[in-house]
Amino acid sequence: MIMAILLAIEQMKIRLLLALLLLFDVSISYSQIQGIELGNQAPEIRLPTPEGDTVSLSSFKGKLVLIDFWASWCGPCVEEQPELVRLYKKYRQVSFTNGNRLEIYGVSLDNKKAAWVNMINKKKISWSQVSDLRYWSSPVAKAYNIQELPFNLLVDGNGVVIGKNLHGIDLDDALTQSRIK
Amino acid sequence: MEKTILMSMKIKRLNVFTVFLITGILGFVLVSFKTQQKEPWNHEQLLSPEDLAKTLSDPQSHQPLILSVGPAATIKNSIDIGAAKDKANLDKLKRQLKATSKDETIVLYCGCCPFDKCPNIRPAFELLNQMQFTNHKLLNLPHNLKVDWIDHGYPVSN
Repeated sequence: MIMAILLAIEQMKIRLLLALLLLFDVSISYSQIQGIELGNQAPEIRLPTPEGDTVSLSSFKGKLVLIDFWASWCGPCVEEQPELVRLYKKYRQVSFTNGNRLEIYGVSLDNKKAAWVNMINKKKISWSQVSDLRYWSSPVAKAYNIQELPFNLLVDGNGVVIGKNLHGIDLDDALTQSRIK
Repeated sequence: MEKTILMSMKIKRLNVFTVFLITGILGFVLVSFKTQQKEPWNHEQLLSPEDLAKTLSDPQSHQPLILSVGPAATIKNSIDIGAAKDKANLDKLKRQLKATSKDETIVLYCGCCPFDKCPNIRPAFELLNQMQFTNHKLLNLPHNLKVDWIDHGYPVSN
């Protein structure tokens, strides 16, 4: 009798554990089905710079491009800029197996031009910066299915996504591994 | 004898599992309780985006005062206060609400970033608490305006 009760309790616990695991699995798959995946062609972006010139993603064809989606109102994005400045200096003249030299393409989801330009100057950003100043309503946020900032993609010389959301040491490692020795 | 040993082993295994399970559940409950405690709003003061969208599309219903305390006033009929992390904008919010009745339905939203990283919603909501409003809500945008509002096709300003 006691054994039967114990076994019933155990079975119940196993079922509970399985249910919990299933829930965990579902939440992981949900977070992975969103957005652009590795191996996808990066959708074209054509947006104005603060000076009013249009710079497109395709204009960097042949180069390894880090598309950095950011905004001056996004704290973690702003904190990351000094690291990007460092990596840009380190790799911009380097040849890679999947692109000749590194370019960074900053795509901002700002909505106030002054705030955007002030932050570019404050963080001493020298790479191309573009924005339609439409905040979360930007068609780029939709095309890339951006779920959260900061967000970035590493795109090879043919415009194919080879890295996603690489930050800090992971980004540095990915660039080191791709460089031609 | 063998049966007794087998049973005691089984009980031991069950006990380890039980302790693990109970600790896990207790930990989860404690963390969620703590998270709820430290916010300036309570669960009843979170307004679902679906409910606000319904109200906005029904001109017959009482329209709340919708205030954006983030980078932009994306939601239809909302007023742009500016990022409430800046004192100047917090002062602007105070001025905006000076003549507002204390029982007015007010909806605050930001939606720049996930709730835990948003620098604007807490100072704004705390101000409304201090000003003793009785019917102020925070729009529940746990991810951001895009994921929780725009992607659902809810009304946006032109």
